[in-house]
Amino acid sequence: MILDLHNHSIVSDDGRAKVENYCQWIRKREIPLDGFVLSEHRQFDAVSDYRKLEDEYGLAILKASEVETDYGHVLVFGVNEAMQDAFDFRRIDLPLALVLREVDRCGGVAVPCHPGRPRVGMCAHFEARGPVDGVTVIETRNGGSRASEDERALHLAEERGYRGVGGSDAHIVSHIGRCVTRFPAPIRGMGDLVEALRAGEFEAVSWKSTSTS
Amino acid sequence: MSGTSYSQVEFGEELPALEPDVSLANVRRFTHAAGMTFPRFHDHEAARKEGLPGAIVPGIMSQGILAALIHRWAPSARILRIDTVFRSPILVDSRPRATGVVTDKNDGEHTVEIDLTIQNEAHESPVVGTATVAL
Amino acid sequence: MEIDVDKLKREWAGSTFDTAEFEISADDLRDFALACGETAPHYTDPSHPDFRAVPNFTARYVGRRILPDNFPRLSDGFGFDAGKCVTVLGPIRPGDKVTAKSRIHDIYTKTGRSGTMLFIVHRMEFSNQRGESVSIVDWRMVQRARS
Repeated sequence: MILDLHNHSIVSDDGRAKVENYCQWIRKREIPLDGFVLSEHRQFDAVSDYRKLEDEYGLAILKASEVETDYGHVLVFGVNEAMQDAFDFRRIDLPLALVLREVDRCGGVAVPCHPGRPRVGMCAHFEARGPVDGVTVIETRNGGSRASEDERALHLAEERGYRGVGGSDAHIVSHIGRCVTRFPAPIRGMGDLVEALRAGEFEAVSWKSTSTS
Repeated sequence: MSGTSYSQVEFGEELPALEPDVSLANVRRFTHAAGMTFPRFHDHEAARKEGLPGAIVPGIMSQGILAALIHRWAPSARILRIDTVFRSPILVDSRPRATGVVTDKNDGEHTVEIDLTIQNEAHESPVVGTATVAL
Repeated sequence: MEIDVDKLKREWAGSTFDTAEFEISADDLRDFALACGETAPHYTDPSHPDFRAVPNFTARYVGRRILPDNFPRLSDGFGFDAGKCVTVLGPIRPGDKVTAKSRIHDIYTKTGRSGTMLFIVHRMEFSNQRGESVSIVDWRMVQRARS
């Protein structure tokens, strides 16, 4: 099963893509995706209901968040009320250690994203201030990152034994499907995704060189 | 070039790509017309003194290039809104490439949404955006 | 540096802080269009009966003040240009006199490649000499907080 784990819709302040258009694009371009995750900036979108689109397009459409920490941005999978009570998703200065601990305690998985980028990525912060315990998975393939930034992320993953996921970081429709994650088992919902991420059963894939965008 | 009436445009249709002229001479022409006096746009040495690798293309010129891309594809198109994000500079005298693709159609309004990108020679996308266009 | 965004918004967002007038020149319209690669004569030929400004021509304008007087400076200078959104409401012709009213439309923070950033959405609303609205330009100015 192949999912794009990192995308933004018009719900994010800098997103310009409507979710239905993502679905249409995937089908029109015959991108071999089984679904995608909407990881909106600094919030969890509890309101939008994509079940009709899922049925119409035969895609899994899952919801997550991208939060901002003192070690860069982090994708949060398995968001629930307990997690939202534990820390304020709107803040731009969350302690990474707090996010990792509380997300884990509340049954989710926190994945530092685009770790190879300056300032918003974890690598530079690790180098400057040392590592933070609790990281198990990082985003090693990001559709909006430069090749050197992905290389930096891959190197960190190898060095520290982290597993790697892929996501497009799409903010416009045509950028979905640039980087993805392949899972050996079916993912029917966020529960399955969290379980697979915790079990380490996945691999990051870059489709950037073959992407139609 | 495809037909450019609303009924002829398809979701996913790609606009013919454009390789815009961002030579120093042309950027100077633009900055003069736009009243932009900052030397970082029309003087390589001055730009380097500001820590840039060379003179840079003004963001609104990139936006204008993307509008021209749309007009070349559909001469009768009316751009209702154009929204661009300037992620990093495009260098003067480089060879960027502007592309667009139709990503939504609104049958009630006869408008289309177009994803817009300017790629640099490293295949990065320093300028991305969207436009709403009436056909 | 702690930035109280809600306070900034309460104090600064919404009110017009600057009004400026501009006269539209045929030569500027033509050269702006040609430099961007326009080929259609209604954008490039001042003698065309429908000659007009390209959609984002108004994005070139700044008022007499870029920010309100006494707006707190969080970085040196006004910051950098993170993007512009232009909404086209009507044609702009040579010889038009447009009036632009500026206000702060929104303020928010996020972290990016440049660190912690304060986004100020500066809105300019343009009307012509007949009082017709012709354009709205939203300019996302980014100030990087001094560390």
